[in-house]
Amino acid sequence: MTPILIALTIGIPWLGAIIVWLMGDRREELTHWVSILFSIGAAVTSVLLLPNASRETALTIPIGGDFGDFTFVADGLGIFLSVIAAVIGSLAVIFSKNYMKGEASLGRYYAFVLFFIGAMVGLVLSSNLLLTFLFWEITALCSYALISFHNDDPKAVKGGIKALIITSIGGVGLMVGALIVYAYTGSYDINNFLANYSTIPGNILALLAFGFLIAAAAKSAQFPFQTWLPDAMEAPSPISALIHAATMVNAGVYLLARFYPAFKDVPYWSEAVMIVGALSALLAAVMALVSNDLKRVLAYSTVSQLGYMVYAIGTGSVYASQFHLFSHSIFKALLFLSAGAVIHSIGTRNMLEMGGVGKKLPLVKWVFIIGALALAGLPILNGFWSKELILESGLKNGPLWLYIVMVFVAGLTALYTIRCVWLVFFGEPRSEYHAHAIGWEMIAALLPLAGAALVSWLAAGRFSVLLGEKSLPFHAIEPLPYKEMMHEVLSLPTLVVMVVITAAILLWVFRKKLEGLINGLKSIRWAAENSFGFEAINNAIVKVTQSTAEALRVTQTGILNWNVFGILASVIILLAILVLGA
Amino acid sequence: MTSNFLFSSLLLLPFLAAPIVYMLGRLTARNGNVLGISLTRALTVFFLLVEGCLLYLVVKQALSSGGAYLLIGDEPLVFDGIGLILACVVLFLGLMVTLFSIDYMNNEKGEEKFYALLLTTIGSIIGLGMSYDLFNLWLWFEAMAISTYLLVAFYNDEPPSLEAGVKYLVQSAVGSALVMFGIAMIFSQTGSITLTDLWQLTSSEAPLAKIAGVLLIVGFGVKTALVPLHTWLPDAHSQAPSGISAMLSGVVIEAGLVAMLRAISMFGKVDFNWGAILIGFGCLNILIGNLMALRQTQVKRLLAYSSLAHVGYMLLGFGFSMAFGRFEGAAGGFFHLLTHSMMKGLAFLAAGALLFTLHLSKQEHVPLTLDDLNGASRKYPVAAFALGLAVLGLGGIPPMAGFMSKWQILVAGVKAENTLMLIVVIFAALNSILSLGYYAPLVNRMYRHEPSTAVEQGSKMPGLIIVPLVILSIAIVVIGVWPSSVQFLTEQAGLSLLYTFFY
Repeated sequence: MTPILIALTIGIPWLGAIIVWLMGDRREELTHWVSILFSIGAAVTSVLLLPNASRETALTIPIGGDFGDFTFVADGLGIFLSVIAAVIGSLAVIFSKNYMKGEASLGRYYAFVLFFIGAMVGLVLSSNLLLTFLFWEITALCSYALISFHNDDPKAVKGGIKALIITSIGGVGLMVGALIVYAYTGSYDINNFLANYSTIPGNILALLAFGFLIAAAAKSAQFPFQTWLPDAMEAPSPISALIHAATMVNAGVYLLARFYPAFKDVPYWSEAVMIVGALSALLAAVMALVSNDLKRVLAYSTVSQLGYMVYAIGTGSVYASQFHLFSHSIFKALLFLSAGAVIHSIGTRNMLEMGGVGKKLPLVKWVFIIGALALAGLPILNGFWSKELILESGLKNGPLWLYIVMVFVAGLTALYTIRCVWLVFFGEPRSEYHAHAIGWEMIAALLPLAGAALVSWLAAGRFSVLLGEKSLPFHAIEPLPYKEMMHEVLSLPTLVVMVVITAAILLWVFRKKLEGLINGLKSIRWAAENSFGFEAINNAIVKVTQSTAEALRVTQTGILNWNVFGILASVIILLAILVLGA
Repeated sequence: MTSNFLFSSLLLLPFLAAPIVYMLGRLTARNGNVLGISLTRALTVFFLLVEGCLLYLVVKQALSSGGAYLLIGDEPLVFDGIGLILACVVLFLGLMVTLFSIDYMNNEKGEEKFYALLLTTIGSIIGLGMSYDLFNLWLWFEAMAISTYLLVAFYNDEPPSLEAGVKYLVQSAVGSALVMFGIAMIFSQTGSITLTDLWQLTSSEAPLAKIAGVLLIVGFGVKTALVPLHTWLPDAHSQAPSGISAMLSGVVIEAGLVAMLRAISMFGKVDFNWGAILIGFGCLNILIGNLMALRQTQVKRLLAYSSLAHVGYMLLGFGFSMAFGRFEGAAGGFFHLLTHSMMKGLAFLAAGALLFTLHLSKQEHVPLTLDDLNGASRKYPVAAFALGLAVLGLGGIPPMAGFMSKWQILVAGVKAENTLMLIVVIFAALNSILSLGYYAPLVNRMYRHEPSTAVEQGSKMPGLIIVPLVILSIAIVVIGVWPSSVQFLTEQAGLSLLYTFFY
């Protein structure tokens, strides 16, 4: 049963992608419905996989040679991520029916969305490192194609290429790691590696561990690769929700979670992971606080929350990290889709031009608030439980100063969240805008997510069993029934965090009285608006490359004498090397 | 049919077919004699298909009788893995180019010469793959060179084409002179030119062997477009008719590489790290090729520079195998030879199809620029998709075949378990990403909604041009998801190379 379900969960969206591409732009309504059908098909088969979690290799496609066999394992970690990819994928597709109404090139849009869903499922279910990398690159391709979907907009094209290049640079880390695993263990199999990682010499294992960390950091937009995610917001909002919040950016966290047992003893690796996570969380939270673009705030928020997940893995709690991934996928998708509804209705992304939208779009206001409360980490939403579990793990296993930073960031999170909600939905409209009503498709996508944000934490126990001994033999995740989890979370450290969050909210409410303090922090504000110098670094790298290329053009003289001289010079240089080498 | 007869037919058929095709075309070349020229084209396709069948029969014979060879005097022509893969690649690509050129070269002056020369090019490359001695190697190599000189300068009314042809001719001639010096040195030292003899004769010290080796590498290297011997390539590959650009980038420079490998394979016992030289050139090619392509605004020049980079990858693969005895390097190098010929071939054919509809069909001999590509996908969906697929495949994106062939080469690099080689592997991977910096914007341009002026005024895409584009696209994706489908070809070739080098 399992092999068929795996094949279907990847194959159905891919078949849909081919069909929708060939359908082209001829019949819009049909294209929407065909895409919805295929995405729901994938969602159904992925959910059917849930009861079948096991550590055994489920599906093998023999290829041989230097490519290994393409194997798939349906273990808990993989299945839960494929359910998220497929289910949130189908909600994003349903939402797109309204959001992308009347757009051109819908065939290309839906083809890449469906291609992406299949590739994401393949990525997390694969147990051959080459295959994992293959799917990794395919998701990068789809992300690039969808960010730059509006090819006529130079900002979108630039954002797409930036995302492609930065995530691919990180991908080199995964590629070299996969090659090392193959060269030193003779096989690409992940479970084989996790069982035998001690046979790899220490310095090579360290190279592997840090290579994977670089790949994960680039894919999940962590420090120092975080600059691509805000620019990726040029993509249509359903894409931001699906790819850049709920699924693809989780691939980095997935990689760290999957390989944690092998790397946890590598000297300085866990510390590096914690610092990468904490730095990303802090920097992104500050940048979210000063940004005026609704989607960019959410993008920075994603970087920040992923920072929490990465930090959690560094402290040793893979369960807390994945539980927060679960909550975050739900509430961030919810936030992005609601933001998409607002942007589609109002026609701008600039929060300074909004205000009072809540009166025109009450449903969107309420679901956004639910998502915001989850993001800020307020009880009883799913974000509260998962974030507190991470902080508990940080307190128990990580350095105290990092824990304090993360609690501070929790406060910042609450602050930028309430700022965002207030600027968009409350107060008086700050510009002339016309809000047209949202369609039933958008409501159909938003409501399930809002409901899930309220109750998904109740699945904590089932979730821990899914990730437990039976399916992840190397991770040692203990079962944790939800009542026990509640007990763990409702304790003193959590109270401290609640105080910090309340302080943050009060800061906002009394912001007019604190103008002096806010003015004093002007330099930080300036640094944050300039992304703490990272954009400058990116631009410098591009400029240096282009100037080097331009400078090299002089070698193509076009003069035959110089060309022949080049040939003879090579002979002389090589002969010189020969003589010197002798 | 005896093995000798089949094998000789395989070698001779293109050279018998070429004059027949030419004569038929010339004699029926009266204004508007459509039947004559159609017959010429059909005959070319026919002869290529017959050649394919002969190849298949020779392979079958070779497998059953344990080998195929042909003795001309004392010199053997041997059918081994390297010859097989080169023959397969040149025949497949040649067939695609012929189908493509039927519409592309329609009504061009001297069209019958085109097909005749294409046949001789294909024939000489097949012969080059079979050579097992220095004389034959040089002979078939020169035959290929002469055929391609004429094809590069095919548009002999256009000054840029003539310039490209002259530069190619002169630089190739310098290379051939160096090769002759090298062969002369070897013959004077050892008294033989058969590779099998030379393996035993060259001892480990032989200083003259090292000098000869350098001369052979540089001499053949001009044709292989090693940096800094490459300066003829951007002009030649961009000025030639697009089908010939595809052949040049796809198989002619690779034939030069194979000739180089055959020539230095006799030096396996000489105490010198030939692999290191190849790796050094490989890194230089990859970097320079990518950086130069980054600034190009003409599509065919961009693709030409990108060929430099891909030859670099092949050199890395072969270098890894020679320096460290890694089989994956040789198999990977040949796998990349195969995939590159298909992807670069498809890129040039798709670009050529667009060049044809946008400019050539209106008798404008202007280059296809990046700006011309804006919005091409709406009017020419198949050509745009093919170009996009080819170009992203060249950048190493799955599920196209380039990903798998680059992977195999990098496996060899990491398996060498050498820190410097690991740095080379990372360098090669980062360069692959750099290449996306010029491939991705090209694809984005094609999928704009606002068409360029050229696209708005472009003529209809002829039907037959699409056929090779579709065939190549499907082949690239199939090999990309199922790399083992061609392993029988690449592994055989890799084994042959290692056998000759480490004999």
